[in-house]
Amino acid sequence: MTPPPPAESIAARLRPLPVQSDSRINRDLLSVMQGASAGYCLLLAIAGGFVGLAGAIWIWQVYQGLGIAGYAHPVFWGAYIVTFVFWVGIAHAGTLISAILYLFRAKWRNAINRSAEAMTVVAVLTAAQFLGIHVGRIWKSYFILPYPNQRGLWVNFKSPLLWDTFAISTYLTISTVFLYVGLIPDLAIARDRASGWRKLLYGALSLGWQGTSSQWKSHNRTVLHLSGLATPLVLSVHSVVSWDFAMALVPGWHATIFGPYFVAGAIFSGFAMVLTVMIPVRRIFGLEEYITDYHFENMARFLLLTSTIVGYAYASEYFMAWYSGVEAEQTSFFKRAFGSYWISTWVMILCNTAFPQILWFKRARTHVPTLFVLSVLINVGMWFERYVIIITGLSREYNPATWGIYTPSWPELGIVAGSFAFFAMLFLIFLKIFPVIAIAEVKELAIHEKAHGGGAH
Amino acid sequence: MPLLLGVFERPDQVAEAVQRLRGRGYGDLETYSPAPFAEVDDAVDEKPSGVRLYTLIGGLLGVVTGYAMTIWMANDWQIVVGWKPFSSIPPYTIIAFELTILFGGLATLLGLIVKGRLPRMALDRSYSARFSGEEFGIAVRCSERDVPEIDALLRENHAIEVDLVES
Repeated sequence: MTPPPPAESIAARLRPLPVQSDSRINRDLLSVMQGASAGYCLLLAIAGGFVGLAGAIWIWQVYQGLGIAGYAHPVFWGAYIVTFVFWVGIAHAGTLISAILYLFRAKWRNAINRSAEAMTVVAVLTAAQFLGIHVGRIWKSYFILPYPNQRGLWVNFKSPLLWDTFAISTYLTISTVFLYVGLIPDLAIARDRASGWRKLLYGALSLGWQGTSSQWKSHNRTVLHLSGLATPLVLSVHSVVSWDFAMALVPGWHATIFGPYFVAGAIFSGFAMVLTVMIPVRRIFGLEEYITDYHFENMARFLLLTSTIVGYAYASEYFMAWYSGVEAEQTSFFKRAFGSYWISTWVMILCNTAFPQILWFKRARTHVPTLFVLSVLINVGMWFERYVIIITGLSREYNPATWGIYTPSWPELGIVAGSFAFFAMLFLIFLKIFPVIAIAEVKELAIHEKAHGGGAH
Repeated sequence: MPLLLGVFERPDQVAEAVQRLRGRGYGDLETYSPAPFAEVDDAVDEKPSGVRLYTLIGGLLGVVTGYAMTIWMANDWQIVVGWKPFSSIPPYTIIAFELTILFGGLATLLGLIVKGRLPRMALDRSYSARFSGEEFGIAVRCSERDVPEIDALLRENHAIEVDLVES
C-alpha cells in the first residue's frame, strides 16, 4: 500500500485541461453551419418570396372561397390533394433510411440519415398545410379532432379522413422525436464549440448531454425502439393515405393494391428527393469525403428497385381493369391513357418506369449529373402519378352524363409552387442551424476504424 | 473527495480500464465518449437500459386508449354509418395502431430523459470539449489515499494523460 501523498502535491496537480486540437470531423461538419454566402441568402430570399406570395394567394382564397381553385363538377379533389399526397410521399425516405436501414445495420445510412430525417419533418409540415388549404374554411378544420364539445358529437372513426388525421399527426410527432433524439449528441458537440446565441440555443437543446455511459446506453436503446416503432409506422402512413382513395368506390381508386403501391411510390419519390437535395448540398459544402458516390449509388439501387415495383403496380392496375370485366373500370383506365389527361399519364409512365431503367448500368448509377437529372424527373413523374390517379378517377366516374374536366387554376398552381418554396426555405434554414450530417455516427465509424485498423466489417 | 480524470484515445482501452477499476472496488466512476461504444457502456453497467419498460408501457397505453376512445365515443352518441356496428373493431384498429406508435414513441423519449438523467443544468467539472471531439474520459471519485493507485492504474491502461480535477 502506497502512503497517501501530501496535500500540497494534490493541489499542485490541479490545473485546467490543455486545449487539444479539435477533431477534423467536427471541424468539417460544423463548418456547414457557419456563415452564409450571398448565394445562400439569395436562394433563401427567393424561397421566402414565393412562400409570401403563396400565403397572399391563400389569404385571397380564404376571402373568396374555394371557387378560385379550379374545382369543377365532378372533380372536387384537385391540385391541393395531389400535392398533399406528393409531400407525404417525399416524407417517407427519411424514416426508411433512419429506421429500416438502422434495423438492417446498413452502415452507409450514416452519411445521409440526418438530412433525410430533416426532409421528412419538413415535408410532413408542408403536406399538413394542404389539409387546411384544401378544406377552405380553415377556421373549422379543428372539427376533425375528437374534442369534447357542447353538441356532444364525436368524430366518425369509420372515415379514412380520420385515419389520415391520426396517421399524419403521429408521423409528424414521431419523425420529429426521431430527428431530435439523433440530434442531441451533435448539439452537444456544437454547444462545446459555439459562442453567443448559438451556445445558448445548443446548450438548451442538448439538455446537458455529456456522452456518459448511461446517456449513450439509453440513447442507443431509444434509437432502437424508435426504429422499431417507426418501421411499421412508415409503412402504415402511406397505406392510410392510399385508403383515402381505395375506400371509395370510384373507378381507378377502389383497388386492394393501393397500400403497397402507394408505399413503394412514396419510398421511390422520397429517395429521389433526397438525391435532388443532397447532390447540390454535397457540392456546395464540399462534403464529398462524407457523402461519397457509394452512398449515391446505393440510393440509385433503391430507386431502381422501387421503380420496378411502381411499374409493376401500373401494369397490374391495367391488367385488373381489363380482367375484372367491369366496364366503368375499363373505361376509366382507357381514358387515363388516351383521354383528356393522356399527357399526364405518359409523363408519369416515362419518368417513373422508363427513365429509371438506365440505373441498371453502373455508369449511370455512379455518374452524379445523370442521377441529379433523373431524380428531378422522378419528382415530376411522381407528382403526375398522384394527379393521374386523383383527377382521372374523379372526372370519369360511372355515369358519362356526370363526366367533367378539371384544369388547375393559377391560384392553385401558385400555392403548389409555394409549397416547394416552403420546403426549400425550411431545409435551407435547417442547414445553417443544425448539423446536416450525423457527426457522432460518422465519428463512431471513424474511431472504430482507428481502433481496429481497418474497415468495420 | 478527489476526482481523477484519465483521458484515452480508444474505446477498448476505456472498457478495460473501467473493468479493472471496478474490479479493485472503485465503482464511483463516469465515462465520457464522443460516440456510442457498447463495450464502454457495458463495462460501466452490465444491465440493459431501462428504456425498454417505458416503450412497453407507452405502447400498451396507446393501444388501450385507441380502442377505448373510439368505442366509447361511437357509443356515447350513436350515429349509424354505412349500417356498420357502433363498435367496429377493424377501422378502430387503425386508430389504436397509430396511438400505440405515438404513445410508445413519446414514452421512449421520456425513458431517454429519465434513464439518461437529462436534462442537466450544469456540466460535470470533469467534462471537457475534448470528449465531444475524439477522446474518451474516465472520471473516478476516490479518497485521497487512493489517488496514486488510480493514477498508476489509468496510466498502465494507456491513458494519454491523467488529471486531478478536484482535490
